[in-house]
Amino acid sequence: MSAPTDSTDRSRPLLELRHVSTDIALRKGTVHALADINLEVQAGQVLGVVGESGSGKTMTALSVMGLLPAGGSVVGGEILFDGRDLRSLPPEEVRRIRGVEMGMVFQDPFTSLNPTMRIGAQVAEPLRVHQGVGKAAARDQAIEILRRVGMPRPDKIVDDYPHQLSGGMRQRVVIAMALVCSPRLLIADEPTTALDVTTQRQILDLIDDLRDEFGMALVLVTHDLGVIASRADRVAVMYAGRVVETAATADLFRAPRHRYTEALMQSLPEAADHDTGAKGRLYSIPGLPPDLSRPPTGCRFAPRCRFATAECRTTEVVLSTGDHQHACLHPVTVPAPAPISLRPGPAVVPTPAPALGVREPGERAPKAPAILSIRGLVKNYEAAGGALRRATGQVSAVAGVSFEVHPGETLGLVGESGCGKSTVGRLAVGLEVPTEGQIVLDGTDIATLDRRERRLMRRQVQLMFQDSYAAMNPRMRVDAILAEPLQIQHVGDASARRARVTTLLDQVGLSRRVLERYPHEFSGGQLQRLGLARSLALQPRLIVGDEPVSALDVSIQAQVLNLMRDLQHELGLAYVFISHDLSVVDYMSDRIGVMYLGKLVEVGPAHEVVRSARHPYTQALIDAVPSVDPNAVTRRTDTTIRGELPSALSPPSGCRFRTRCPLATETCATTEPPLTGDVHQVACHFPLRVESAEAARA
Amino acid sequence: MVRYLTMRLGQALIVVVLVTVITFVILHVLPGGAARATLGKDATLDQLAAFNHDMGYDQSLVRQYFLYVGRLLHGDLGYSYQLNQSVTEAIGQRLPKTMLLSLLSTLLAVVVAIPLGVIQAVRRNRWPDYTITSLSLLAYATPIFFLGLMMIILFSQVWPILPAEAPQGFTLGEVLSDPAGLILPTITLAIVTIAVYSRYVRSSMIDNLNENYVRTARSKGMPEWRVVLVHTLRNGLFPVITLLGMYLPALFSGALVVESLFNFPGMGRLFWQSALKRDFPILLGVTLIISVATVLGTLVADLLYAAVDPRVRLRGRAS
Repeated sequence: MSAPTDSTDRSRPLLELRHVSTDIALRKGTVHALADINLEVQAGQVLGVVGESGSGKTMTALSVMGLLPAGGSVVGGEILFDGRDLRSLPPEEVRRIRGVEMGMVFQDPFTSLNPTMRIGAQVAEPLRVHQGVGKAAARDQAIEILRRVGMPRPDKIVDDYPHQLSGGMRQRVVIAMALVCSPRLLIADEPTTALDVTTQRQILDLIDDLRDEFGMALVLVTHDLGVIASRADRVAVMYAGRVVETAATADLFRAPRHRYTEALMQSLPEAADHDTGAKGRLYSIPGLPPDLSRPPTGCRFAPRCRFATAECRTTEVVLSTGDHQHACLHPVTVPAPAPISLRPGPAVVPTPAPALGVREPGERAPKAPAILSIRGLVKNYEAAGGALRRATGQVSAVAGVSFEVHPGETLGLVGESGCGKSTVGRLAVGLEVPTEGQIVLDGTDIATLDRRERRLMRRQVQLMFQDSYAAMNPRMRVDAILAEPLQIQHVGDASARRARVTTLLDQVGLSRRVLERYPHEFSGGQLQRLGLARSLALQPRLIVGDEPVSALDVSIQAQVLNLMRDLQHELGLAYVFISHDLSVVDYMSDRIGVMYLGKLVEVGPAHEVVRSARHPYTQALIDAVPSVDPNAVTRRTDTTIRGELPSALSPPSGCRFRTRCPLATETCATTEPPLTGDVHQVACHFPLRVESAEAARA
Repeated sequence: MVRYLTMRLGQALIVVVLVTVITFVILHVLPGGAARATLGKDATLDQLAAFNHDMGYDQSLVRQYFLYVGRLLHGDLGYSYQLNQSVTEAIGQRLPKTMLLSLLSTLLAVVVAIPLGVIQAVRRNRWPDYTITSLSLLAYATPIFFLGLMMIILFSQVWPILPAEAPQGFTLGEVLSDPAGLILPTITLAIVTIAVYSRYVRSSMIDNLNENYVRTARSKGMPEWRVVLVHTLRNGLFPVITLLGMYLPALFSGALVVESLFNFPGMGRLFWQSALKRDFPILLGVTLIISVATVLGTLVADLLYAAVDPRVRLRGRAS
């Protein structure tokens, strides 16, 4: 939060949107993507724009940049940059402002760079075009800016192509490109959504540092309330093409006024009451956002709002005035309880809660036999490389993972991309054959079974996918999709299958009228319900969910999570819940396993793993999750991970985490730490919080 | 790289051998036979038998094949009694002319098709796009013999500015000394190719213009010409490389219809006439050359890809 350093008139905002409306013309009708948007960003300030998909947050950013997709245009209002309306300036001047005074960072670093242009040329391009800098000088400046965004060996990277870099590194390039002309305003549209949480932390810290250094204003567009809470000065909450609430960050998170903002915060898994051990249901916003080609009259949130009255549906509500503005007729008046942070509180000794809902194997005397038991699981892939695609080595995807899942229990598997969590899931359901190790289903090692027995055994374990749309045949109707598993397994006759299919729809809360529809007719949340219904068809005892809610908006995610928990209680299901999102895993799981580069580094009761992590990697993961509690200071702890995930082609010797671990010693390089402990196990030579954990147990 | 090339050439060799076997077998089991075709319908059975004996046609197919391959390895493609010259010589006379015609028309096609495709993509769903699309489809749907005839009628009869017949020179130099004669066949061949290529360029450019990296370039305030020509064009031309690779065999085989139409003494007309006359040695020789060209063409296309696309070039080196 540096003071504005340039000569800008301080009374005038650097960027101001006045009554901006944006339409997108489609073949069929027009989508009114933005309606009467008013926003202000002062020089040096960070404005967070938050909302779910379709809320118009990205369209706001693209309207400012003049980068609307085909058919899109700003149809009304003024976009004032430093007092000048971008809509009435000549195109050449707008292009110069866009290139020099504003910079934009996009969501997907994997597609944001030109694949056939060298990094250096892409970064230096604005200098060459806008400022006429010579080739050699531009290259030097590109190297310099790459160094400032934390790129290792920038003098080498300039000659590389984008595909040679990891996602985090590519995002640094995109940032360097946006900053190379020292803009006064940076617009970052979901800059870290495609990245892992530890990389996200690095990138957000970097943007913070650079903002101070360059004295820029920042518009941070994101769906993630946590990212906003820790970084923004002011927040604008958007819903269905409108700004519904805007306030200073601390005010907004302490006391949201609009009913939508309130509902959104209550939908967060972090909002579930952790301390009782029995985690309550999440609040989920019913229904779907409105169709913006025919926006409803009155408050656009009214159809989904618990507090809506007839008045809400007829009166156009405008933003109130003052510092904390909201557009709600029945605003929240009593401050909501402070959101709960994932961070361990100071001096709270973790109590291994003997509470309901948390099953701890080894503690309960007559424990049910495990439904799934995995022992020493190893999966290597042949790595193909070079023009010949010959084997160049082995990728160690899973390296000796063991765990058990008991009936009715949820085991969460968490870790960053490439840690092997999905492979474990695919191995567990039999989609892949392990290189080594045993998979014991319901007491039977599936390697000992013949084909027919194995097929019957498959019924016990089913898989639920992240992208249910991609996982369904687009030419099959819902009735066929849901009946297919029954057909393949020869369960019942046609009428019995029909009956089963309707039961399944009832169970997942979908109307029986959807039977004759096709997958493309469903929304994301409905598709996940269908996916869940299909995996339930054979009455399995265990469902492996691979990122089942990762593609969903917060409010829809809450619906699906609640459903999964309800069905678990109803049917006694066990889940292996795979996700990169620690707060979701924490909410869903009885026990959590943390994976890093093919290894299970920590496993234990969810409460303990999250609130008193013992592996430095787990702690780093927890610290990297942006908290929705604006009071939680984003500090750079000892455990902040630096660097990049090593290649699984040649994993580090000893402890695989040692190359990024702040506590690593020579022992870590030579000896691989075994997973030790009884209830809360950790694979580390120097686990955190040994004393407190032992004290608690004593 | 050396290993890759060795393997690809090995594969190519296998394909070529298979092609010779298949053509050889098919041609020799056809009714009629070479003897009747060469000696005419008045020849006696004895004469036919004597001819077959002289030519080795009375031996087993397998033996004939190996004799043929043995000669091939010495660079001897056979002898055509009907043309009264060696196959090597017959092909050697025509190949340079065919290559000249194909190269000229391909060059013309590429030079015209790329800008057309780019204009269509940039002005998508507006009048320039609609106009060029209509013309492309028209050209694509017109039979080439009809197109050629129309060209002749228009430009050498109605408006006689160009010769209707291709240059008849014996050597490449003689052909080149009559460039006007090359214009009509070249343009006729190019028109269809332009129609195909410009469609590919158009759709590939449209795909690329919707890519995120193009939006990034615009966010840097790049002028539109730079966005299209510097950022998008290179990525948008990849399909053309594939097409060029697939077109390489035509460089050798020539164009049957157009060469016949304009009476151009190239490979296409040679093949056509040999097929009518059952001139086996020529047919075998031409087929062999075309199959080699086809195999090499795909190889060249792959190598070109590597040259243009760093993602292919550096695969394996990137970690």
